[in-house]
Amino acid sequence: MIRFKQIEERLKKEAKRLLESGAVAVVLAYEKGYDEKHPMPYAAKNVADVENIVFNEYCNYNMARYLVRYPQGTKIAIAVKAADSRAVIQLIQEEKVKREYLVLLGIPVQGMKNPKTGEVIDSKTTCGMHNPVLYDILLGDEVHGHKIVSPYDVLVQYEAMDKDARWEFWKKELDKCIRCYACRKACPMCYCDPCFIDQSKPKWADKAPQSSGNMMYHLTRFHHLAGRCIDCGECSRACPVNIPLYLFHKKVAKECEEMFNQRAGMSIEDKPVLIDFRVEDSDKILE
Amino acid sequence: MEFEPKILGIACNWCTYTGADLAGTTRLEYPPNVRVVRVMCSSRINPSFIFRAFQLGADGVLVGGCHPGDCHYNTGNLYARRRLATAKKILEFAGIEPGRLRVEWISASEGNKFAEVVEEFTTQIKNLGPQIKLKIQEP
Repeated sequence: MIRFKQIEERLKKEAKRLLESGAVAVVLAYEKGYDEKHPMPYAAKNVADVENIVFNEYCNYNMARYLVRYPQGTKIAIAVKAADSRAVIQLIQEEKVKREYLVLLGIPVQGMKNPKTGEVIDSKTTCGMHNPVLYDILLGDEVHGHKIVSPYDVLVQYEAMDKDARWEFWKKELDKCIRCYACRKACPMCYCDPCFIDQSKPKWADKAPQSSGNMMYHLTRFHHLAGRCIDCGECSRACPVNIPLYLFHKKVAKECEEMFNQRAGMSIEDKPVLIDFRVEDSDKILE
Repeated sequence: MEFEPKILGIACNWCTYTGADLAGTTRLEYPPNVRVVRVMCSSRINPSFIFRAFQLGADGVLVGGCHPGDCHYNTGNLYARRRLATAKKILEFAGIEPGRLRVEWISASEGNKFAEVVEEFTTQIKNLGPQIKLKIQEP
């Protein structure tokens, strides 16, 4: 597609300029994988590396995942799509990265595809936004003129379910989990070291891929991401057994938005909802 | 035999635990189904405690804290309120009755309220029946 080629060219140009001038130490983007459908995350560290950068409709990894791996103060340029820019904002809110050390190369996207299914990624599995919320340089023109669909529409059928049916649904889905922790590895907001599931004192959950441990791992993870999940859908795309984790994350995000009137990753001035409070919060939320 | 629920009570040291103490010293009668664990503040409660309690066989969890604005640490229960509200929504969407988790603000002078809440909550859990969804099944 011409659009993606154009973005790739501009991405290379900007990466080259930034690395040459020494404005950044590393550019986080994508490189060619074993075939066109499977590009890989890539860190370009010098001008010669820039040639390896690619961008196509399968580049759906959230590169914000890799920001926290660099020591604080490293100057990084990062290619961000819509949800990725929200992840960066959320990381700035959580003081994991600083705005002044980042150069955000915004990419307006349209028609990204899931390499596993070949389907176009839209508001069913992600936040459905097209333009990055925050960027320094925009590569390509903003995408407009789309009908705005609420990312929570997909939840309707699950909310209408009877609670026992919903339990059966989640039990069946989460029982599939093989505990590879790909969801945790792909998630830009999962940076705890050690993760609660790796702790042995206290031992929060069984580490064997069995029903009880799976349930504990996932329920706790949903809670840890409450009000922080930026709905990029990477967890479900990374999942080798196709658990629709995005559904639960969407639901928690929706509830947080209703209770606290704040959406994750929309402004650097916000504070994550669960490390914040309002005196005027109502007790009704506990009912 | 009638179903006797096991209820985990998590009470904050400064208000609810002292309130429970008061209920005891004033010889109020209330059901013996609640096992109270003392924590220093309701914000000490990690929602994983609640999930884990359900896994280890609790039929209900009762969380007690100071009234908003009365926290011994000024703001602890205000954080706890948001945290526990989210935990409740998660339980609900997972298909577990949200009524099995109850959060009450009970001050140190409200021994009566403590007894009433325990009474009411025990009846509520009895009506809901045993919690078998999250409970780890013995092999």
